[in-house]
Amino acid sequence: MVAVSRGATTGDREPPDAPEDRERDARPPTSAVVASLVAGAVAALSAFLAAPTGGALVGLAAAGLLAGSLRRSPRVLSWAAGVGVAGIALAGYLRGAVEPLLAAGVALALAWDLADHGIALGEQVGREARTRRNVAVHAGTNLLAGGLSVAVVYGVYLAAAGSQPVAALALLLFGAVALASALR
Amino acid sequence: MSAGVDAAGDEAATSDAAGGDGGDDGDPMTADPTTADPMTERTPLRRSETARWDGIAGVALALVGIGVVARQPGLVLTGAVGVGYAVYARIGEAREATVEIERTVSDDGPEPGDEVVVTVRARNVGDAPLPDLRLVDGVPPGLAVVDGPARIATALRPGATAAFEYTVRASRGEHEWEPTRAITRDAAGSRERTTALATPTRIVCTPELSAGGDLPLRGLTTIYHGRVPTDVGGAGVEFHATREYRRGDPVKRIDWNRRARTGELATLELREERAATVVLLIDARESAYAASRPDADTAVEASVEAAGQAFTALLDGGDRVGIAALGPRDCWLAPGAGTAHAARGRETLATDPALAPTPSEGQFYQSLWLRRFRRRLPADAQVLFFTPLLDDYAASLARRIDAHGHLVTVLSPDATAGGTPGTRLVAFERRERLRELRAAGIRAVEWSDRSFPVAVARATGRWSR
Repeated sequence: MVAVSRGATTGDREPPDAPEDRERDARPPTSAVVASLVAGAVAALSAFLAAPTGGALVGLAAAGLLAGSLRRSPRVLSWAAGVGVAGIALAGYLRGAVEPLLAAGVALALAWDLADHGIALGEQVGREARTRRNVAVHAGTNLLAGGLSVAVVYGVYLAAAGSQPVAALALLLFGAVALASALR
Repeated sequence: MSAGVDAAGDEAATSDAAGGDGGDDGDPMTADPTTADPMTERTPLRRSETARWDGIAGVALALVGIGVVARQPGLVLTGAVGVGYAVYARIGEAREATVEIERTVSDDGPEPGDEVVVTVRARNVGDAPLPDLRLVDGVPPGLAVVDGPARIATALRPGATAAFEYTVRASRGEHEWEPTRAITRDAAGSRERTTALATPTRIVCTPELSAGGDLPLRGLTTIYHGRVPTDVGGAGVEFHATREYRRGDPVKRIDWNRRARTGELATLELREERAATVVLLIDARESAYAASRPDADTAVEASVEAAGQAFTALLDGGDRVGIAALGPRDCWLAPGAGTAHAARGRETLATDPALAPTPSEGQFYQSLWLRRFRRRLPADAQVLFFTPLLDDYAASLARRIDAHGHLVTVLSPDATAGGTPGTRLVAFERRERLRELRAAGIRAVEWSDRSFPVAVARATGRWSR
């Protein structure tokens, strides 16, 4: 016997057989999970090219992102992203090349962003709804933001850093941040 | 400097991306002129930060710091890209969902159980692109979505349309769509805004009332001729008693056998048949919205269906029939007869909000309800009380109405199928209530999967007048 009531509150963690949710599968859409996995793999590969130890950590992070997607837990995603950043930091510390590091950074940001986006989509519209276009646009804007950042940063590096010490580069960046904060 | 340039670039890029890849559902469409397009009413509900990019600036600066200490340009540059993401997360604003919703249903007057295809078209009527738009359609609570989620996540450039389709199974009643919820986010997803988009759509599902079998009524009748046998002697067909002959008695009614045997004149009395006034009382409190399985019909649904059969059968038999609901919302159709009354009764049973397929909102006040019900109930009315008998109040109410002189028959759909200990306990309690009611002299019929007329026919055999 089941009581059908209108006043049922929709909490975050509903049992999967709640009457309101019978038609909805709250897992993240496949497209977001797959795209996140691909981006994670690219990040791991790039970091591996920079320094194998760091690459292994980033690979671990990609697996963590997948686990977070499957468990629908943004907290797991955050931890995985943290591990990935640590992996990139390690790869950079071990004298990794600049280009693979940049690629790994952008790919890791994309992987985490898509996984997190997928969880929100799953909660709000569910797995079976049409979401591919939404995911594609989201991935596109993220890549564009990352690509533009890389273009600017790498351009500055090529133009100025050939003869300058690293501290000068950091100061240049600090100036940019100060300017951005002032403009907001 | 670089970050500032990024900001402007991203903003423009967002627009391009949202508008640029016009895919499967991006074709701008003009509204069909034959369907009058009702304006969508927008109500802003909530805006919030999603906080999903929190900490990115810290991570970026940490990378830069490590890079400076370790003298590694690669780390400094990666950190700088991270600052770019921090800027990306801060620019942009979740815009209000400037969306016009057009909803069409394949059939706005379906039969119960029919599948109705609902098509929703959402058009961005604003000037700005919506890079992240999620729509959750407000399906009426009484309708079950059987195919396709009533949701979509998409991106719309100005003038573009996204369409989605889903199928609902119609159930009895009048169903009004609730506002569609639109959730928009900015491109980075760091801000979120919820908007309600109200587009009135309704379907009315009025079942045909099928006539039930003969429903035996109890002996409380009006002065009018009908077909309920009474204990009053007079004209009729069934033998009732004999009495002494009085002058003026019709010759046909004289008991000639007795005259031949004893020489006395006696008159046969026949059972008079009269019409009754009946009020069908349907339990529609929240506790009555119980079903044996999550996807089964509720007890209220079974009650209403049975009440429909009883209504038709009684009206055909010449009785006066009214309808009342026991619940937080008021529902009263005074007893009456005739074709217009039959139509009104059908309408009440099908679409009255008090008998809706989902529980009504509001508080139920027992004593207030009973006082009002008794004031309305004609003195010679008997009550057919449809209730799943899942609480003591229903049983005690039946006894109270009966005690006030309105003979009560309890008709109880069984919603207690199932094998869990809790279900068995509820079933046991319900059986006890039925037993107590019968012990108190109140007739009770229960039915579960078998159809209502079968149960009535079985029960009738047991009853004496």
